[in-house]
Amino acid sequence: MSASQLVELTIDGRKVSVPAGTTIFDAARMNAIEIPTLCHQQNEKPVGVCRVCVVDVGARVYSASCIRPVEPGMVVKTADDGVKRARHTLIELLMSDHPSPCARERQSGDCELEALAKQEQITTARYAPRASRRGPDNSSMSIAVDFDACILCDRCIRGCSEIRENFVLGRMGKGASTGIAFDNNEPMGESSCVSCGECMVSCPTGALTNKVVTQTAIARTPDSEPVALEELQELPFFEGVSGTFLSLNRNAVVRRHFKPGEVICREGEYGSTAFYILEGQAKVSISSPIAHVKTKGAIRKFMGKLSSKLTQRQNDQREEETAQHWIHIDAPMDLNYDNPVAKLGPGDLFGEMTCMSLYPRSATVRAETACTALEMLRNVLDIMQRNKTFRARLDQAYRQRALDSHLRSVPVFAELTDEFIGGLRERVELLRFAPGQVICRQGEAADSFYLVRIGFVKVSQTHAGGEMVLAYLSRGEYFGETALLEDTVRSATCTALDHVEVVRISAEDFASMTKQFPGVRQKLQQVGQERVQMNHETLVMINSTPLDSFLKQGLMEAQSLLLLDLNACTRCDACVTACADAHDGVTRLVREGLRFEHYLVATSCRQCLDPLCMVGCPVGSIRRRNSLEVIIEDWCIGCGLCAENCPYGNINMHPFNVFTDVPGMPGQKKAMVKQKATSCDLCSDFAEPSCVYACPHDAAHRVNPRTFFANLLKQGTSTTPES
Amino acid sequence: MRLDRTHRTWLIASLIIFGVSAVIYVVYAESSPAGPSGGSAIGLAFGIAGSLCMIFAGLLAARKKVPVWRLGRAQAWMRGHLWLGLLSLPLILFHGGFRFGGPLTSVLMVLLIVVVVSGLFGAALQHYMPPVMTTRIPMETIFEQIDRVRAQLLAEADEMVEAVCGPLNFQNATPVPGVRSSVATATVVTTDTIPLCNFYSREMRPFLQHERAQNAALSIKAKAAGIFEGLRTLLPAELHGTVKNLEDICEEERQLRRQMRYHHWLHGWLMLHVPLSLALLLLGCAHAIMALRY
Amino acid sequence: MARAKLTTKNLAQRIDLEYFKHPHPLRRLRFILSVAIPVIALLWLGWHALARNDRIYSGGRMSASHAVLTARCSACHVAQVGAFSARASDQGCGTCHDAPLHHANQIFTPTCAACHAEHRGHPRLAVTADVSCTQCHADLHTTGAATRFTTDITRFIGGHPEFAALRPGSVDPGTIKLNHAIHLKRNLRGPNGPVQMNCDDCHRTAKPESRFRFGSGDAHDAPVNLQAIPPSMDPSRAYMAPVTYARHCAACHGLQFDPRFQEGVPHDTPDVIHAFLLQKFQQYIPNHPAELRVTAPNRNLPHQPIPPAVRVLTEQQWVALRVAESEELLWRKTCAQCHALKFVANAPLPAVAKSNITQRWFQHAVFNHDTHKLLKCVECHSGAPTSQETADVLLPGIQTCEKCHRGGREAAESRCFECHTYHDWKHEKSVKGTFTLSASLRSN
Repeated sequence: MSASQLVELTIDGRKVSVPAGTTIFDAARMNAIEIPTLCHQQNEKPVGVCRVCVVDVGARVYSASCIRPVEPGMVVKTADDGVKRARHTLIELLMSDHPSPCARERQSGDCELEALAKQEQITTARYAPRASRRGPDNSSMSIAVDFDACILCDRCIRGCSEIRENFVLGRMGKGASTGIAFDNNEPMGESSCVSCGECMVSCPTGALTNKVVTQTAIARTPDSEPVALEELQELPFFEGVSGTFLSLNRNAVVRRHFKPGEVICREGEYGSTAFYILEGQAKVSISSPIAHVKTKGAIRKFMGKLSSKLTQRQNDQREEETAQHWIHIDAPMDLNYDNPVAKLGPGDLFGEMTCMSLYPRSATVRAETACTALEMLRNVLDIMQRNKTFRARLDQAYRQRALDSHLRSVPVFAELTDEFIGGLRERVELLRFAPGQVICRQGEAADSFYLVRIGFVKVSQTHAGGEMVLAYLSRGEYFGETALLEDTVRSATCTALDHVEVVRISAEDFASMTKQFPGVRQKLQQVGQERVQMNHETLVMINSTPLDSFLKQGLMEAQSLLLLDLNACTRCDACVTACADAHDGVTRLVREGLRFEHYLVATSCRQCLDPLCMVGCPVGSIRRRNSLEVIIEDWCIGCGLCAENCPYGNINMHPFNVFTDVPGMPGQKKAMVKQKATSCDLCSDFAEPSCVYACPHDAAHRVNPRTFFANLLKQGTSTTPES
Repeated sequence: MRLDRTHRTWLIASLIIFGVSAVIYVVYAESSPAGPSGGSAIGLAFGIAGSLCMIFAGLLAARKKVPVWRLGRAQAWMRGHLWLGLLSLPLILFHGGFRFGGPLTSVLMVLLIVVVVSGLFGAALQHYMPPVMTTRIPMETIFEQIDRVRAQLLAEADEMVEAVCGPLNFQNATPVPGVRSSVATATVVTTDTIPLCNFYSREMRPFLQHERAQNAALSIKAKAAGIFEGLRTLLPAELHGTVKNLEDICEEERQLRRQMRYHHWLHGWLMLHVPLSLALLLLGCAHAIMALRY
Repeated sequence: MARAKLTTKNLAQRIDLEYFKHPHPLRRLRFILSVAIPVIALLWLGWHALARNDRIYSGGRMSASHAVLTARCSACHVAQVGAFSARASDQGCGTCHDAPLHHANQIFTPTCAACHAEHRGHPRLAVTADVSCTQCHADLHTTGAATRFTTDITRFIGGHPEFAALRPGSVDPGTIKLNHAIHLKRNLRGPNGPVQMNCDDCHRTAKPESRFRFGSGDAHDAPVNLQAIPPSMDPSRAYMAPVTYARHCAACHGLQFDPRFQEGVPHDTPDVIHAFLLQKFQQYIPNHPAELRVTAPNRNLPHQPIPPAVRVLTEQQWVALRVAESEELLWRKTCAQCHALKFVANAPLPAVAKSNITQRWFQHAVFNHDTHKLLKCVECHSGAPTSQETADVLLPGIQTCEKCHRGGREAAESRCFECHTYHDWKHEKSVKGTFTLSASLRSN
């Protein structure tokens, strides 16, 4: 049929002539006759699911005008009584399930369904709403999903597949349980959705709306200016993002100008934004002294005064201290231990962890030349991070700059050749996980090996009585090798605690790596064995039914408690004085806390099995020894997050006076106070903790609660009043 | 320090030393023409032994100043202090032949007796008081911080009451660090709340503020219970939660006061023991020098 | 609205982490007291040091006699020149006291202070413990010849030998025959009728103005001019004055020799008596010439030449005859009644043994009758009323003493010093006092 051929038909008594192949809807529209629709959108292929646009064509049933092409001699009635009645009932039926006023109606007042309902003067539906509701889905950063408002018009599906070609949305289910699903019915935030916003823009109702993120607007400073929508759209990593969507989130990004020498962000500060450098060079460094707190003096010299000094790793190698040379920070590269300085240039994104998970800044970034950067909030960062173009770039940058040092920083992989790593570079996958998302599950088949790039991963095992946390892994650590090496199923579940990015190496690559480098295999096996051993020991420790009050205070979590026997303690503070004396005047123990039996559980590090203090360290400097003792590495930047996280208040910040270089005036130094996190170190340099040693009344005991209270736990009785 | 099994060695050793010295003393006293004298060889030996015991006992204070130096565990020092300090009394009595002697030696003997007796008293207190404190003061805190905690209690109570009664413009409304924050939801002030506001301003706040308000009815648990019960009758049910919290705060205040009293008992005897023992050592030194002279 | 739940963290966060460094009233008070009280002690010492007064270092109250020297430590504590030590040595004691050596053969000489403990507040320094003595005498050895004293004296009650004079085999060395029983019996024939003698008719302490019932009226002695001194200081009351013929015997035991004379011979040596007799008779006969005619009284004496019936003697003959008769009476009867007379061949006059009346029975102990005057004489000298032999030693034995001198609070003193002295006062030298008044009273 030729396109130019015209067809004649009658619409509402008017004769019209349109090219062949035109739909009735278009034909009516061309002739200024409005037919109401819901599921039809001009830029999408019509599907005719909502039936609001039905017209009487003289056939047995009404036809959906958005789909039905015109035929010569068709008589179309768009607004006669029957059609009107049908339309009215349809709207009423749809309104019966609609949570009126829906989110869109509340936000912008433009819910198309409710507009139609108003037109039809439907205020309440006569029909009962559906019994089972699917509820909302708030997992996405930028788009709020309310399945109850969805009318299954498929506009979002078409927008995602036809317009943006992301193919994330689809239909699932049959009959009354039909619904819209992201990927395989994943929560939106965990799906492959790239937050382009097209679905939200297409949705006629409040099923998909723009999420109101707290602090949606970045505070204006003198050196910041808003970015025009056009400019944003020109940036390559906003490619494919719906303009409307961008426009809605425009306030969440500003452009900032920095003078040479100006500090862009300071380590240890809390923030909620990420930076993307457009032009200029910046220097990223750690200005806290790279040294750990060491108690000096009394070991060698009998009478020397004890003081806490900052000591570098080469001067004092502690047991199980990491030998790694790389400090992992929240930037595209890692910093070298010996010289923790690196350069950032145009195209570098930093501050992701701070932005996504509200962790403190991990390093200090100072502009070297005049710099222009985009500062953005979480929602815009999310858009960027999901954007395919951006991801490709980021992956590229990571592969080139950081993958190498990451792999090398893992001691096990130290002997991999450059060639091999070069080969790996293109074959690894960078995966993102949302908070709470499971990366690999206990009992599943193993097919990959993972390196953590950003965020915290919780490794836990499920037992009859519940879940037991084995470890927390942070940037630069790895997991998943045991199952691959032993060719078994996964022994533990790894879950993302916050926004996590991992580097995934496939089983084949892993196998070829271990085959080519038997040394690596050996080391992996060794570490694996140690891990298994540690886990086993942790498991063995849990042997009897714990007491209620024991549990409530979290004493089950503890491996070592400082107990003060209140029936012998004369409240003389000798323990506190001794602790302070041993640690340069800063006590790591407070004689306050809850009681258990007739013991006061003093506030002092408990070596918890589930060390909450470790979650969130921006530079990964607080970790566990194999003896499960907490060790704080040299590059602690003193942000204090671990102190906040510890539920018992056992970590305190210890100020040190240091001299730092004055920028711009080489050779000059200024005095500053830097903080380092400290917690009870069990006075490991001595045979006995100082507090226990110094208590004159034999009232202080450092014990393992399970063995100490073993009898009590067996009996299951306690005299501690429930608090 | 509690005397328990771990003291057995010391007890036996002390008894042996005491027994042997007693025997030596008796023999020596009987056989010396002029009677036992501090200046005779054996008398001098007793004096030196007694002095060494006293000096060691006195060194405990010095040891406590450098708790981290590995000079022996604090418990060992404490046991030594107790037993050697106790031994010093009979040894010095043997040294002096159970006589008081001249002015200086009388003073020394009196000081020694007072110091040893006060030490025994303190040891008894250290047996008795900690369990009592543990049982009777569940809300115990660190003694030196009691004032700070009391201030926090006051601030907390103020906050609670102001949430109900509206701003009451108390003096000393300075922010106190470390206040246990409670969710403050303001309720409308109605006539219902007036009894609470009045009670707080007139009775409870002065009680919380001033340490010495001994006559306050609130300082006695039974009376306070009665007062609060009465208050609950006057107030509507939704305020009963606040009343309960105020009652708990009063209880904590009472316990903290009790803790202060008990702490004074537990540590007060040291006011006598320590200064007098220093004087004892000082004068003992003078005595040793001058007695050897004359 | 509930209070915040109690957790370890919010409990701990109430606390200021530096609390133990800040001063607290209780600790501050203890510190202040710990400084103040030793400072007061130091000031006390310093005050006395500045006043150059070492009284406070005294080891105790002084004995009564030295109390005045309490402040003057250097009276006894003589510091060696340049040395620190100022022990009270024997030298110090020697400035005022002479302490004669006890015995030349003693093994060691204890220092003064060994026995005389000053600074004990004793009233008398002489009160020494038995141990001072028994340290040697419990197992007595000497540097020279073996000792004749008992070598194992440990204490008075049950450890002291019987008094030497009463040991078996000891006798009264006195040669005057005396039968106490007769003298003390009832209805003793006295100069003027029967008398009952008492002990004190012969035995009294040497008080000057006592008159004896049976002494001669003009007997006088006691050359010592004892003024009114208290009894306790009067040494003459300790011992019984020697029994003399003149004071104690003369009243009953007259020395008449001849009916012609009322008087007796003087109580003197035989040659004095002989001279007296001669003189007496020579003075008599010129005044009584009729006596020259002697009629033989009894002519039929066996184995005697029959003397002429009447003789007229010359004066010399008569004197000689009378003297012989008197001497016969005297030597053979009167004097011999008490004295032991020795007749040597060819010697006209007998030798009278020395009377050897023991003045002081305890050579090595002191006894004071005056302190025992509450007792009846016979309570201690219980043997006297029944003693018939001169040789009887009528001293009370140690058991008599032990009845009262048992020691302890409720008995008389039984320590050594009560009866014995260490220092040999026979060799006492006088010590010249060297102190001035002001020096004695001034402090140190």
